[in-house]
Order: sequence, then C-alpha cells, then structure tokens
Amino acid sequence: MNTLHKELTRTVLYLDGISVSFDGFKALNDLSFVVEPGEMRAIIGPNGAGKTTMMDVITGKTRPDVGTALFAGQHDLTKLDEASIAELGIGRKFQRPTVFESHTVRDNIVLSLAGKRRVFDTLFARSTEDEADKIDQVLDTIRLADRAGMMAADLSHGQKQWLEIGMLLAQDPSLLLVDEPVAGMTDAETVQTATLLKEIAKDHSVVVVEHDMSFVQDLGVMVTVLHEGSVLAEGSLDRVSADERVIDVYLGR
Amino acid sequence: MARPLLLILQRIAFVLVLATAAFSAPAQAQSIPDLISRLAGADFDETEKVVEALAATGDASVAPILEALGEGDLYFRRADNAVFIARRGGSGYLLTDPITGAAAGEAGRRDVTKIRVNNSLRRSVRAAIGTLTLRSPDARVRITAAQSVLKSRDPEAIEPLTAAIEAEQDDSVRFVMERARAAAILNSDSDDATKITAVAKIAEKSDQEARAILLAASNGASAELGEAIAGAVNKVEGSLAMWSAVQNVWYGLSLGSVLLLAAIGLAITFGVMGVINMAHGEMVMIGAYVTYVVQELIRNHAPYLFDVSLLIALPLAFAIAGMVGMAIERGIIRFLYGRPLETLLATWGLSLILQQVVRSLFGPTNQEVGAPSWMSGAFELGGLTLTYGRVWIIVFAMVVFAVLVLVLRHTSFGLQMRAVTQNRRMASSMGIRTNWTDALTFGLGSGIAGVAGVALSQIDNVSPNLGQSYIIDSFLVVVFGGVGNLWGTLVGALSLGVLNKFLEPYAGAVLGKILVLVFIILFIQKRPRGLFALKGRAVES
Amino acid sequence: MTGRFLRLTGTSGLILLACLLAAAVYIPVANQYIDPASPFHVNTASVVVFGKYLCFAILALSIDLVWGYCGILSLGHGAFFALGGYAMGMHLMREIGSRGVYGNPILPDFMVFLNWEKLPWFWHGFDQFWFAMGMVVLVPGALAFIFGFLAFRSRVTGVYLSIITQAMTFALMLAFFRNEMGFGGNNGLTDFKDVLGFDLQANSTRIGLYLLSIGALAGAFLICRAIVLSRLGKVLIAVRDAESRTRFIGYRVEHYKLFVFTVSAMMAGVAGALYVPQVGIINPGEFAPANSIEAVVWVAVGGRGTLVGAVIGGIGVNLGKSYLTGALPEVWLFALGGLFVVVTLFMPKGILGLLDRWRRKQIPADKAEQAGAEAEERA
Repeated sequence: MNTLHKELTRTVLYLDGISVSFDGFKALNDLSFVVEPGEMRAIIGPNGAGKTTMMDVITGKTRPDVGTALFAGQHDLTKLDEASIAELGIGRKFQRPTVFESHTVRDNIVLSLAGKRRVFDTLFARSTEDEADKIDQVLDTIRLADRAGMMAADLSHGQKQWLEIGMLLAQDPSLLLVDEPVAGMTDAETVQTATLLKEIAKDHSVVVVEHDMSFVQDLGVMVTVLHEGSVLAEGSLDRVSADERVIDVYLGR
Repeated sequence: MARPLLLILQRIAFVLVLATAAFSAPAQAQSIPDLISRLAGADFDETEKVVEALAATGDASVAPILEALGEGDLYFRRADNAVFIARRGGSGYLLTDPITGAAAGEAGRRDVTKIRVNNSLRRSVRAAIGTLTLRSPDARVRITAAQSVLKSRDPEAIEPLTAAIEAEQDDSVRFVMERARAAAILNSDSDDATKITAVAKIAEKSDQEARAILLAASNGASAELGEAIAGAVNKVEGSLAMWSAVQNVWYGLSLGSVLLLAAIGLAITFGVMGVINMAHGEMVMIGAYVTYVVQELIRNHAPYLFDVSLLIALPLAFAIAGMVGMAIERGIIRFLYGRPLETLLATWGLSLILQQVVRSLFGPTNQEVGAPSWMSGAFELGGLTLTYGRVWIIVFAMVVFAVLVLVLRHTSFGLQMRAVTQNRRMASSMGIRTNWTDALTFGLGSGIAGVAGVALSQIDNVSPNLGQSYIIDSFLVVVFGGVGNLWGTLVGALSLGVLNKFLEPYAGAVLGKILVLVFIILFIQKRPRGLFALKGRAVES
Repeated sequence: MTGRFLRLTGTSGLILLACLLAAAVYIPVANQYIDPASPFHVNTASVVVFGKYLCFAILALSIDLVWGYCGILSLGHGAFFALGGYAMGMHLMREIGSRGVYGNPILPDFMVFLNWEKLPWFWHGFDQFWFAMGMVVLVPGALAFIFGFLAFRSRVTGVYLSIITQAMTFALMLAFFRNEMGFGGNNGLTDFKDVLGFDLQANSTRIGLYLLSIGALAGAFLICRAIVLSRLGKVLIAVRDAESRTRFIGYRVEHYKLFVFTVSAMMAGVAGALYVPQVGIINPGEFAPANSIEAVVWVAVGGRGTLVGAVIGGIGVNLGKSYLTGALPEVWLFALGGLFVVVTLFMPKGILGLLDRWRRKQIPADKAEQAGAEAEERA
C-alpha cells in the first residue's frame, strides 16, 4: 500500500479502469493512462476514440461510471468540480479556440492569472506590479505582447489558439491538457506552436491531443493511441506507427 | 352471440305483455271512463275501491288521474257529474279531460266540487301510482319509478315492488327495483334477517346514494344489523375512494391531453428544431378562430353541415396556422438561428402583434364556438361519468400524436427533417434543401398548433388571449418531458395533467397549479434536461 | 479624484448623471415656481409619471446587469419588482391605521372584509418603516438567492432558465391572486394615506418621491458601473461569452451568477418600493409574465450590455407607451410587438449600439488604414 502510494504520488495524472457510457454507447472503456511529472505526451486516435471524453473526465466535466482518476497521486478527480480541478493545477485548452472575445488580450490573461477566485475577492481586486510582470511574461511567450490592447475577437484564428495557451500558462498549472492546438493553423503557425509547446513542456506536464501527424512528429514525444475508448498502443511515434493494429484502425485507412 | 338473442327474446316478451294488456282491458269489469265517473260524489270507501280498480287495470294512462286525485286537483261538475282535472285559472277553474288530457273549457267556482281525499286514501293513491308506473311498458318509466322509491324509501312501496320485480323481464330495471325495495325495507320495521339481506343488496352498487342509505339505516339498528351495515359502508367507501381515484386519473388524462395538444407542436419547433417560439400559443389561437369562422359560415349558409364543422375546420386550421408559421420562419426566425434568446424576444413581439390583429378583426370579447351533437352528452362507465367532449379530445390528442410520430419516422420528409436538425451541413451536402426543410418543419409544428386550436375551441374561451394561457404550460411540458423527445412530451403532458388533478382536491385548483409549477421548477434543477434527456457529449456544447 | 470618478461613470454615464441632475433641478422648480399657463410648467401628474419612469429605469438597469453583462435572460424580474412593491405596500397599509374604511387600528381593510381575526404573522413588523425597507431588499434578494442557488448549481442556462424564471413569476401571480395569501388578493394593496407622516397626495411628497427616485437611479447606476468595472465584472462578461472556459480556468461560475442575480433582484425590489407610493397601488397584475418580458425589451431597445442604454430604454419606451396608449390605443401593442422584432433583427445592440456604429464610421481614415495593414499582416 505504502509503496503503491509512493508510486502514485510520483505521477501527475493517474487514470485506471475508467469507463463512461452515454445511453449504451461506451465512450471510454476500461481506460488506463499515466503521465509522469515533466512529461509531454501526445494522444492520437480516430474520431470517436474517446479523446475529448477523456479530457472531460480529467477536468471534471464528465463523471466516469467506474474507475480511478488521481491527480498528483492524491486528489480524486472524480469527486471534484471543474473549478476545484482548475485550482489544483490542471489547465485545459479546447478543441475550438475559446477566448473571451469581448475582453482585450491583456484582460484575458488577467482573468486567467493564478490567484483568488472567490466572488468578493474579484469584486475588490486591484492590479499589482507582480501581476503586470507575469502578464508581460506570458504575452511574450505567446508572442502577443504587441496586441495586448486588442479585443480578443479581432485576433486571427492562430492567435486565438496562442492566446488560449497563454491563458493556460497564466493559470500556472502543473498539467496542461491541449486539445488539437494546430487545427486550422497555417504551416508556419503550426511550426511556431510546436516550438511554443516544447518551451512550455520544460516546466509543465503536457498532454496534447492531435490529428496532425507531422505536428506530432515535430513534438517528438511519447505517443498513446486511443481506439474505441481504450489504449491501443503506447510508445514513440515510429514504434506505434509500425504496430499492425494501429495501422488497421487508424493510420492505414 | 348471446346478446342479440336475448334482445330478441326481450322484444318478444315485451310485445306479448302489450298484447295481453290490450286483450285483457275489455275483459275488465268496468272500463276506465266508467270507473272515473264513479268518483263523482263518491265517499272515501267508494273512492278507495275505484282507486284499487284503476290500479288493477295496469294501464299507465290512469297515472295522471291518480296523481291529480292525490293532489286534490280532481273535481266533478255538479251539472252532469262529469269528472275533470281542474286548476285555478281564468275566472274560476280551467278544466282538463282526465282521459284524453284535452282542454275542456272553464267552470265557475260554484259549478264544480272537489273529490275529497284523506290521508289513508292518499297513501293508496301513491301506492297505486307506484304500482302503475312500475308496470309501465316503458322501461325508462319503470326505472324512474324505482328510483323515486330509492329516494323516498317509502315502506309502502315494498309490496308493489315485490310484485313488479316478479314480473320484470329487464335485468337492469330489476336491479334498480331490487335496490329500491332493499332501501324501503331498511326504512321499514322488518326483522333483522331481512334487513341484513337488504344491506347486502344495497352494497352491491357502490355510490354516494348507497352510502347515504346505509348510514341512515344504521340509526337505531341492533348490534348485528349495525355490524352488517358498518361492513357494507366500509366496502362502499373503499369502492368510492377507488372510483374517485379513477375519476381523478380520468380528469388528469383529460387535462393532460389538452396540455399535449398545446405542447405537441412546440415539441417540434422547440424540441426538434430548437427554436423558441413564444408565438406558439397564437398559432393555437388562430386554429380556434378558424373554427369560429367556419362555424359562422356554416350557420349562415349551410346549417345542416354543423355537425361536421370541426372536421371542415381541421384541415383549414392546419393549413392557415402552418402557412403563418412558415411566413414567420422565413420572415424572422431564420435570421436568428443560433440566437435563442433573441428568437424568444422576437417571437414574443410577434405574439403581441398577432393578438392585436385578431383583436382588431374580431373584437376583444369571447366568441361563441358550438359543440356538434356528437360531442355533447355523457355516458357512465362503472362509477365514472364521462363526457363525450372530453373523450373525443383525448382520442384526438392521441391520434395527432400518433400521426406525428408516423410522419417523423416513416416519411421522407421526416427523414430529411431529422437529418437537418442533427447535422445541417452534412444534410445540405447530401442534397437536402435545408432552408425549405426548416420552413416546412416550422410550418408542421405551427399547423399542429392550429389543429390543437380546433380542439381547444371546444373547451376554452375563444378570445385573442387564448394562446397566452397555454404558452407557459406548453414550454414546461416540453422541457419537463425532455427536449427533442416526442415520447417525453407525451409522458410529460399526461403525468403533469394527472399530478395536477390529484393535487386539486387537497389544495384547490389555483394552489394545485402553483404546486405543479413549483414542482417543475424544482424538477428542472434536478434534471435540467427533462425526464427523457438525450445524454452525451454533443448536447452539452 | 475627479479622474477616478470620471473613470467610474464613463463619458456617457457622466452625460446621463448630468441629465438626471438637470431633471432633479428643473422639474420641481418648473412645477412649483413657473406659472401653470406657461409651456415650461410641469404639472404634478407629470411629475408622478416621470417618477414612475425612473423606477422603470432602475428595473431596466437591474435586468441589464444580469442579461447584458452575465447572459442570464431573466423573464421573472417583474416578480422582484413586485415583491419590493408589496413590501412597501404592506408598510403603507399599516400606516393607514384606523383611518381605513372599517377603522380597525391593526387590520388592513381587506382583512376586516374577509373577517380575519388577527394579523397574519408575516405582516408583523411592517408597521416599522426601517423593517419594511429591509424587507424591500431582503425578500426579493432571498427569493433570487434561493432560486438562483438551485438553478445555477444544476447549470440551468439559456432559454431553460428564461422559461423557469417566467414560470416563477407566473406561479407568484397565481399565488398573490388568492385571498388566502393575505396580500389583498385581486385588488392588491391600495388606498394608502401617508409615508413617514408625509401625505402621499401632497405636492411636496410627490416631488420628494420623484427626487428620491432620481437619487436611487443615479445610485443604482453607479453601483452597476462599479460592479461592471471591477475584476468581478470582467468575470461576468467572461461567463457571458464563454461559460465553460471560465469554469476551466477555475472560477465557480454559479457563485458569480448567484451574486449578480441576487444584487440585481434587490435593485429591482428597490425600484418596486419607490414605484408603489407614487402610483398608489400594487396588485398581482405586476407579477404578470408580460410585464417582465416588456421590461426586457426596454433593455434591448436601449442597448444591452450598456448601462446608459438600459436607462434610455426604460425611460424612452415608456414615454412612447404613454404617448401611444393615449393617442392611438389600438396601435400600442403593434408598436410594442414591432419593437421586439425590429430590435432583435436589426439593432441587436440597441440604440447605443447604433450610435456606436455611427460614430465608428466617422473614425479618421488613418485608423482604418492601420486596421487594413493589420489584416494584411495576418494573412
């Protein structure tokens, strides 16, 4: 028990035997999955493999029917709501970029900054120098420093994706879940995004869901292949793309 | 197989009875006119004999004469000893021939003398009338006679009833007679054994009357009889409670089917298309006004068509409300897809406009919409009284629902509609004209609301505000049942209807309604997507 | 100091406050000191009508706060307005004392009429002015808190929320129509005599209430501005635009909604409390769902998401209503209905949105060029 516990606390994310079904359809089927601290992991799989549902379970949006989901080996994710999970330090980027369109780029970051989240804290909140420094730092990282005063609605699609990643950074999470970060990006933007993610992965654990194989190649990290709600294969991209079963269900189609 | 035969036998028996009556009449010692003429100047004994003889004729036509005698309205004319029924009027009395019932002129006060009766005579008269009507060839008259005894519980009626029961051929009439006799026995000074048998007889049919009779009989009853009565009262009350529950379910289903009718169109526009149409109630109102106009035209030009007026109104209401709906969809709603709150406001505005249009055209007051003959009246089923109007509305709601389900399931339009609502882009790339489908779908939902209006015109006031009273209820039904699920709407409507009617006896109509609203509000907190929610990832986004 | 105040009001807000100040000075003066024959004279009836509009403007502000800034379309705000009004009405009823038709010092007339023996428990305390004033905000606030707590916790959003708020006010209307509820049933509360000893029929009282309404409106506006400009206000807008995003960066969305919904309901309650002594009656009709939804259209017309717009809408639409129902009563419902349709279809941001767009068109050419360059860079 004790050794297991130590084993667990070493992991950032620990999913075991997770199943979720919607009206008889099994979105996740006995899924098990572990992320180590500082690790960046790519998840691939055909449509309906359960990638988004897995994200939903980790962030508390969907409750699993059975299974264990632990964060940092001690927090039971199946019992917490989205806000508490976010406060624990899990950030999530959606498939479609969602930023606060009627706020400026800067305000988007301000709202995401790690800090007190209670109603009356925000009612009387004042901006501080520390905050300003942190914001500038994030804006630099996501290359939007010169657009800080623009309305988020006026950003290009790629810039919105970056802004969203920036919002995650401002949250300062220990685990980032990034859903299809390069969907709809130009090639140049895709390359820039890969660099950005690698930079982030230096001091965060990151899970990236992506369809784009060349992007996954660029990341050069361990890959997990999902199929029909459970893990089909795990390993480097070269290894999984040589796997017969993976070729059958996904790559070889 | 057995029933027609029985009916024929009954008819034959009936004809035979009539025939015997006709043959036996001349064989009587004296004819009715002779008997009546004996009344002139008769003493009490003589009158008594005449009454007995009249009763013995078995001819129901003497009943009015006996009634007049009992009430002291029978007189004879001094001049010629002719007997008349006389009532005050004119300068003295208005005379009526007792046998033919024809008017026979007037008479001064001094010209006629009353045929006097005393209490014992009155009793004989009443018994004689009872006997006569109990023997009437008309089954309805016999039942009425038996029922009057059931009310009066007059012990004097026991004997004539016993005789009548022996002669009775019709089971249902005999049943009432036996009950009446039992009631009379309980009111008499018969011995306990007889009374206990009578208690059992009364308890055979459980209604308020049986309860009243039994409770009245328990006064001053012996221990044994009291026990029997208490047992019987328990049985009757249990059965009454059961029937009142059944009655509540029936009222609830009836209310539920009204809700269903109002909500079913909304289940399409809101449930399937996701469009918040606050003018939905006005589509119902338009349907009701179409009914009104159709009936007005029929009254003025072809009154013989009145009974089919609703059948004529149905397709018209569907078409007109459907076209108004399509115009709304093309003119306003299509610009607001994906903006539900704006749609809500715009269609609310539209509902104000439609109400005002109707108010300008037809005036603000309620319009008279009549019920065709096949929708009026009622019938009994066990302990229930069902009105035809309600029955037809339930049937109609179910038919509309079934047709709708069939259309959605089994027609190509239904398929296209489902395709468009599930994946617009895919449907469009497969060659479905999505715009056209949207308009038709909305038209279908509105048309059904119009059809509902035809039915609701039968039970609600047809006024410009008609729709307003249904809009909140309809939305709650759809939300409660689960958006996007027709069966949910069906179950939601019926269960809310029944819930409402079960609360009413305890809480009263208004408080009952408030409780139902509170219930739904709380229910939606518990299950925000309704009873039969679609679950999954897609609905959340 | 002035800089901070200006930041709080904003330019259009400053203009609004200036207009309110002008109205606060001009109308009483015009009523009291200008010759009635003069076209500049304002008669007392008009003062009361203006006072009424000011209350409607506060209601509009409260709706704008939840709808315009947090995306909660409440179709039941009329209920909070009416509850505030009833709380005030109950105090005014108790103030009548033995001057009622039946002369009962404790029981209001309608209770004597219904043969009630004693005052229902919930009427106690309303003879105290400050207690009643507390109830004016507490009762609507508590209802909003409980209702919101349940609804937001279970994530009832969008039209679902709109529909159940409508059901809420409908249920309250049915309840208040019942005599047994103890609020005067059908007739509601009326025949008020005075408040804090001031005769409600007196000119000076009416002007006083009018001035109070102006003050309340200005106060409500500043409170709303303060909320909207705070970081909490930014969170509210974030909730409106991307609710789940807000959740995933760690905000408890339901708490924010609950806060703003409750504050807004209290504000609506104050509006109702000011409204009742000016119109002299409160009855269950105020709970009618149509009232609430009409108030929503004021906000839509003025421009939701802009507080000044809500005030303009609340006053403007009601001015139009008074004019039309007087001059062309048949037309009013057409006009109101048309307003709903036209505003949602053609001016989603209301009058202020139109002004804004018009102003942007006047932007000097160099700014437009800059925007064009940016667009190129992006491509």
